[in-house]
Amino acid sequence: MASLVTTLSGYLGYRGREGHWSFLLHRITGLGTGLFLTIHILDTSFVYFAPNLYMEAIKIYQSTLAGLGEIVLVFCVFYHGINGLRIAYFDMFAPKNWAIPSERKTFWWTLALSLALWLPSAGIMLFNLLKNNYGLFGG
Amino acid sequence: MATTTREVKTPANYEKFAWKWMRYSALLLIPLVWGHVILQDVVVGVHNMNLGYVAERWASIFWRGFDALLLAFAFAHGINGVRQVFNDFIHGEQARRVLFVVLFIFWLAVSLIGLIALVAGVNQQFPLNP
Repeated sequence: MASLVTTLSGYLGYRGREGHWSFLLHRITGLGTGLFLTIHILDTSFVYFAPNLYMEAIKIYQSTLAGLGEIVLVFCVFYHGINGLRIAYFDMFAPKNWAIPSERKTFWWTLALSLALWLPSAGIMLFNLLKNNYGLFGG
Repeated sequence: MATTTREVKTPANYEKFAWKWMRYSALLLIPLVWGHVILQDVVVGVHNMNLGYVAERWASIFWRGFDALLLAFAFAHGINGVRQVFNDFIHGEQARRVLFVVLFIFWLAVSLIGLIALVAGVNQQFPLNP
């Protein structure tokens, strides 16, 4: 219990700026993607175990709330991927970059690249959501 | 800012294997997961999904293989990530062993369920309900 309190208060209170934000974002996006992945493996397995339930699951995914969650999920996947590549590259090929100046600079690059990939995807998904759920754009 | 680095020998144990696994699987997961997400969520979209779509997709051995790789690499990467997060909260050796076994069983069960569905395919008589 003590370690839980220490770890959680460290998560919130540690003032490591970019390096710490990067760590937190990597954890949150990873855990979020992992949670969805678990649900997604199980709902996809319905195609064999319970085909009628599969269509129920798809109906839930087509709802507006799930659609907004899907847009967040795609950000998580892009951010976690780019930041993961950054970590793997630093760890295995350029450990000198594990220093505050390059950690700070590359955090912003990681965020910018993630947003550059995410914004067009989010736009298309939002368009599809408005078209199919609200009849906009001639849907 | 000047930095100093030094090389140290690390023992070849499970933790080292897991550390490498997270990084090498990540390289493979970039094309697998991004390809999957961009194709299914952005290009096709959830409003065009149904049993027929899955059946058509899995009629191709390429896409079944693609999904098998996703299942194998993405889920194991995720479960080991969860283990690393829990290890930040759980410090007792006994508790960590229990956590390891629980996560391993969970990983094995969900992977097997996914694998059975992936091999067996869509379980409905043609013509498929939309």
